[in-house]
Amino acid sequence: MDALSNLAFTTSGALIDLVDKKVLVHLRDGRKLIGVLRSYDQYANLVTTQTLERLYHPPTNSYAQTERGVFLIRGENVVLLGEVDLDLEDPPLQRMTLQPWNQIAALLDAERTDKAKAKKLGEKVLFERSGFGEEGGEGDAY
Amino acid sequence: MKLYRRNEQRRANWQELKPALEATRRGLPPPARSSRLSLFAMAVEPFDLIKVSLSERVFVKLRGDRELRGILHAYDGHMNMVLSEVEETIYVVDVDEQTGESVVRTVKRNCDMLFVRGDGVVLVAPPAR
Amino acid sequence: MLIFSVFKTLTDQEVTVELKNDLSIVGTLKSVDQFLNIKLDNIRVLDEDKHPHMIAVRNCFIRGSVVRYVQLPKAAVDTQLLEDATRRESSNAQKAAR
Repeated sequence: MDALSNLAFTTSGALIDLVDKKVLVHLRDGRKLIGVLRSYDQYANLVTTQTLERLYHPPTNSYAQTERGVFLIRGENVVLLGEVDLDLEDPPLQRMTLQPWNQIAALLDAERTDKAKAKKLGEKVLFERSGFGEEGGEGDAY
Repeated sequence: MKLYRRNEQRRANWQELKPALEATRRGLPPPARSSRLSLFAMAVEPFDLIKVSLSERVFVKLRGDRELRGILHAYDGHMNMVLSEVEETIYVVDVDEQTGESVVRTVKRNCDMLFVRGDGVVLVAPPAR
Repeated sequence: MLIFSVFKTLTDQEVTVELKNDLSIVGTLKSVDQFLNIKLDNIRVLDEDKHPHMIAVRNCFIRGSVVRYVQLPKAAVDTQLLEDATRRESSNAQKAAR
């Protein structure tokens, strides 16, 4: 069988269509990066240029963004790589208000702290009563 | 050579052990003929237990406070699995605002056919009887 | 390789991918690779209000390692075939280990 006929079933085959396109990269820590995909490899390590980082805060219907430049993103941190449809990109942003970066960052930070606290408590309870492990505990470091 | 012979024996014992494994899986005492063979003394591999559970209902405990019950149709060496007629149970902890007491609540979901990624699996068991 | 083959037979079917960060994405399975990375077309995110960044995304590549579940169309899965293939592969794997 020639290599090309099975291209749909390789990592390269999946990513090659996205090269030089505007993409959204969703990272494991929740960051959303928007940039132009320039290069990739079999681990889904990615190179993006003209990268923007965007923060979204749906409860207040606002967002913030900042320019980041060129990124090499290590594949294991990638959750999802989406092609941005240029026709669909602006309308949702126009329905939101652009706020200063620090303001949205502080809002999200506070929410994250609360969530982490609740999660930690929940995991402690489930560890004691149902035998579920605690995420991010000592065990996850190995 | 020695290793080879031990493995030959292992294969021979597998046939003999099958009724015992099957009984264990169903939670019954082992059949008399093979009762002298302890499952633990035997060189049964962990995946053999999953193998005899194919097309049977299994219980799967997952990371992230989740449990699944479903019929096992496929698995691989990563413990990736395909299950059907799945019931998922998610454990959620709520904190009572007034008393500050934490209450465990379960959320159930059903799914006809589900692929489960193996890296989230904590354990696989025949379902509780 | 077994599960990879299963996904290959499911191309062009509609699936729901649930990620470990609880994001659920419905879409048409376009491709899959040996790491079970998945490419979906015509995607729709459940609970789009919470994920406004996904509105402009119509097709995406999902890294296999972040997947928790994939909900499959029951009609497209031959369970008997799967079980036979699993038995075959597990004996092959055990033989190879000896």
